Amino acid sequence: MAMAAAMRREGKRLAPLISSQPINNTLRSSLTSPLDQTSIGGARSISTQIVRNRMKSVKNIQKITKAMKMVAASKLRAVQTRAENSRGLWQPFTALLGDAASVDVKKNVVVTVSSDKGLCGGINSTSVKISRVLSKLNSGPDKETKYVILGEKAKAQLIRDSKKDIALSLTELQKNPLNYTQVSVLADDILKNVEYDALRIVFNKFHSVVQFIPTVSTVLSPEIVEREAEAGGKLGELDSYEIEGGETKSEVLQNLSEFQFSCVMFNAVLENACSEQGARMSAMDSSSRNAGDMLDRLTLTYNRTRQASITTELIEIISGASALTG
Amino acid sequence: MASTGAVPFWRAAGMTYITYSNICANLVRNCLKEPHKTEALSREKVHFSLSKWAEGKPEKPTIRSDTPDH
Repeated sequence: MAMAAAMRREGKRLAPLISSQPINNTLRSSLTSPLDQTSIGGARSISTQIVRNRMKSVKNIQKITKAMKMVAASKLRAVQTRAENSRGLWQPFTALLGDAASVDVKKNVVVTVSSDKGLCGGINSTSVKISRVLSKLNSGPDKETKYVILGEKAKAQLIRDSKKDIALSLTELQKNPLNYTQVSVLADDILKNVEYDALRIVFNKFHSVVQFIPTVSTVLSPEIVEREAEAGGKLGELDSYEIEGGETKSEVLQNLSEFQFSCVMFNAVLENACSEQGARMSAMDSSSRNAGDMLDRLTLTYNRTRQASITTELIEIISGASALTG
Repeated sequence: MASTGAVPFWRAAGMTYITYSNICANLVRNCLKEPHKTEALSREKVHFSLSKWAEGKPEKPTIRSDTPDH
């Protein structure tokens, strides 16, 4: 009883001394190596200094990812209405010309839309995977597939194994806010530089904040449209329309096809930007949550280590004192 | 194109329909009055960097931009 009272008194007197770190560290370093220490049972424990540094950096990471999530959420709100409004641009084309995803052509060009910046989850990988699948589906005798890449992330992935098939790569698209003029200049460049029978645009369609659907939109070249029109189906009904502003049907088809490509590209780029922000939001959110969990675990370890070191000090002092008093 | 007489002037000059409609849109935007005009013209800014690939190697990228590069 008296012993316990003596321990408590010693503990209270020494507590402020023990809790100030520098003294602990010098004491410890004079006894053992600075990084880890062997307690009486022979088990090792990490110094509290390291754990504290870790906790500080994890807390900083948590703050940063939380901020990134807020930024992505606000950017998402801005782009989302524009993306949904731009859907009306290509819907008349699909109503008129149909969406011929399964058309069999010789020269396929796969346009992969991706982001320039990272930390956005898995959307770029899914786009690249689908592009590769498309290129494999369309392989065969005298059929070829070329890639046109928008954005750095898809370029980095496709360089690894499809270097020979890349025709064009475009980057730095998001320096100015996305607008139709920029996308149409881009579309124009693609049309001028690449020969194609069918253009397949691969992008992530924005379904909701947590769901992004990888989509392929097909735009056919005017010659192929004529060929398919002869085969009947939706395109065959094109002749029943009265067309103003162009004498020959092939000229009208050419204008339509170019404009269709430009509209579909605009929608694709906007939807992909939306999906990118949404994916970044959810990635940063899960990252903050993981950082929080890590912080909890580290706090427990820290407290355990701190209490163990205090107990060790106390034991040494008490046993020393009791040895002196006999 | 079988009959070249039927080709409109802009296609004969090498423009695509997209370029033609962009130029027309630019003309319409320039017709606006002042506060709306600068707003609309700011929606027309273009900037991207394009690089053609030949035999698995990228060539030097060309920057297509309205704003002078800094």
